[in-house]
Amino acid sequence: MLTTIKPKTKTLILYLCLPVAMFIFTVFVPLVTALVYSFFEWKGGPVKTFNGLANYVQLIHDSTFWQSFGHNIYLVIACIIGQVGIAFLLVLLVNAKATKLKGMHRTFGFFPSTIAAVCIGLIWNMIYHNKYGLINWFLKAIGRADLCQVWLNNPKIVMLCVTIPLIWQYIGYYMVIILSAIASIDTEIFESAQIDGANGLQTAWYITLPLIKNTMLVCITLCVAGNMKAFDNIYVMTKGGPGTASMVMAMYGYQVSFNQSNMGYGSCISVAIFVLSLLVIGGSQALIKYLTREKEA
Amino acid sequence: MKKKVMAVALAAATVVSMVGVTGVSAATEVAKNDLAYKGELEIMHYSTSEESEGNGGSDGFRTTLAAWQEAHPDITLNENVLANAEYKTQIATLAAADNLPDVFLLQGMNTRAWAEQGLVMDLTDTIKASPYYDKYDQDYFTPFKVGDKLYGYPVLTGGTCTVVIYDKAMWKEAGYDAFPSTWEDVEKASEYFQEQGIDTVAFGNGGKWQANSDFLSTLGNRYTGKDWFQGLIDNSGSKFTDEAFVKALTETQHLFTETKIFNEDFNSVTNEDAREYYISGDAAAFIGGNWDESYIAATLKDSDEEKYNNIGFAVLPQPADATEDPDSQNIGLGYAVAINPKVADDADKLAAAIDLAQELTGPAFSSYVAENYALSGLTKTDDVDLSKFDQVTQDFYNYSYVDTTKCEIYDSYINSAVWDVLNTDLQTMMNGDMTPEDVAANAQKAYEENYK
Repeated sequence: MLTTIKPKTKTLILYLCLPVAMFIFTVFVPLVTALVYSFFEWKGGPVKTFNGLANYVQLIHDSTFWQSFGHNIYLVIACIIGQVGIAFLLVLLVNAKATKLKGMHRTFGFFPSTIAAVCIGLIWNMIYHNKYGLINWFLKAIGRADLCQVWLNNPKIVMLCVTIPLIWQYIGYYMVIILSAIASIDTEIFESAQIDGANGLQTAWYITLPLIKNTMLVCITLCVAGNMKAFDNIYVMTKGGPGTASMVMAMYGYQVSFNQSNMGYGSCISVAIFVLSLLVIGGSQALIKYLTREKEA
Repeated sequence: MKKKVMAVALAAATVVSMVGVTGVSAATEVAKNDLAYKGELEIMHYSTSEESEGNGGSDGFRTTLAAWQEAHPDITLNENVLANAEYKTQIATLAAADNLPDVFLLQGMNTRAWAEQGLVMDLTDTIKASPYYDKYDQDYFTPFKVGDKLYGYPVLTGGTCTVVIYDKAMWKEAGYDAFPSTWEDVEKASEYFQEQGIDTVAFGNGGKWQANSDFLSTLGNRYTGKDWFQGLIDNSGSKFTDEAFVKALTETQHLFTETKIFNEDFNSVTNEDAREYYISGDAAAFIGGNWDESYIAATLKDSDEEKYNNIGFAVLPQPADATEDPDSQNIGLGYAVAINPKVADDADKLAAAIDLAQELTGPAFSSYVAENYALSGLTKTDDVDLSKFDQVTQDFYNYSYVDTTKCEIYDSYINSAVWDVLNTDLQTMMNGDMTPEDVAANAQKAYEENYK
């Protein structure tokens, strides 16, 4: 029966060749060229000198790069808990029977993820602003002016400060994904659970979560991938500062490539970001699979 | 052909200068040289229409460019105009791809690296043959010189990168007739301003480059003198780790971490934010460059004339243990009009590019900015008649060109990689999280790796 609607192989290839060509040109070719350039000393301009593994040796000893990698891992962990975790809780709340205006909650929840990252950065810059910012204004209003500080200039908390806008922005995005996954669960299962006397928490933990496990895995993978390449919000808010206190790998690669005109080493950093991201994504997936398998046993 | 172009150029220059003498505005009258080239000519710059609002250099550049286009209707100027920050990234990318436009603005610190790679044309002979050569202020060529070779026509206006802009009325109330000449006195004044709940001096280093360009470059000169920096440029023995420079870093750290002179968020706001503190009266003074001065003056002139008339200018105060010139301020031209060597493949096109470069930096530009803004560029103009300008403009002219001594803008020279390392560490140091010795050592390491 399916053969009647199956397109011809030729048509399939024709439809596919354009996106595949675009993918090769925009992703694969730059990756390969970056790999090639990473073996050269290239300080901008046409002159490139082959220097073997010198860039990689430098990378291994580059404390700023590894500090940036640490910041990316911080972002990944904070955002898995913050973005995916909070999104899951919000979905449960929105789906609860007592909740009114469900459509409005969904729309407003998703709204921040439609705003450009640069605008989000600027909005939060104003919230954190020392003189005119909301946070310091609120602290003064409640008589706790002693807690006021220059939020984005404190190296101890600056990573947290730049992570909060990221979490805020993407909660709605994961909410929509999780909502659609939950919508596909047969309502009879929830009804039976209710008859059996399961409370909201038990339903969420023992029924909802196992049934949307694969969707959660996709969410976590998207979250890890997104945060390994974090750049724009942080660039607008701190430019990686103060010093390198909020530097992330992509921004460091950008700084080396364009501010320092060191394209060879910048390419080497890009390759390292690619490899480390693959390792972290692969590692996180393996970890989740291992943990869930243990639970089933 | 070349002779003909030269003759026409000389004649035009004479006409222009005569018009200037007779007092008729020669603002947009470029020399209408006979150019054989017909076709497209690419130019990339950062004088956006927003930038040119109140900024004499940008306005003059755009006006001269438009006049040149009008004078040469057979040539189509393909302009690529970006804001300064984007311009720097874009031009670095195009340089890396060996795909620079025909005519572009070269930043001083890139001169050596780009010249070594053959990305910029050696313009030594062309500049020396320019009809305006005798009127060029030769000092401005230094950042664009490698050995004896010149790689660009210094462009826009010679502007200071470090000026203290203060509110005379506010300081009068604090008991000072003028801005203090020592940091000790500024610190004393800060006690008064703190009681008033306002900042003494507003400064913004959120972009990381401001502490270098608008502060350290002048403060460093107060400790090291000019020879030390010349030694760095010439690679003749000066080091970032030299005691005098480390002392300058130590003083910078002291001023920003141990005194209450500056706004506490100096490391997280940009110069654009900090100058708003001054405009709104939340700060009694502001330290920045000529671009900040033009913005502050233009804004206050429209919104608060009394505050505008109270604007005063001062050099950076002198630290107690500094021994060099206390009146120095860093001034220069950070960019030059440069030409892509590939343009030389077409002799007519090259002649057009050279003509454009010479006019953008020639008397048409200089007289326009002198008459309209009391500013000066590469080509010297006859003494500017200051009497037609208000007191603030006259004061800034005198601050920039008459009453102070010149020192170099650090990041107009050497190499972008060195300054990027120094700027990042400076920000950490100004929070008190890094020692001046470590900052100096890292900068020296970057210098040795990138500026052999």
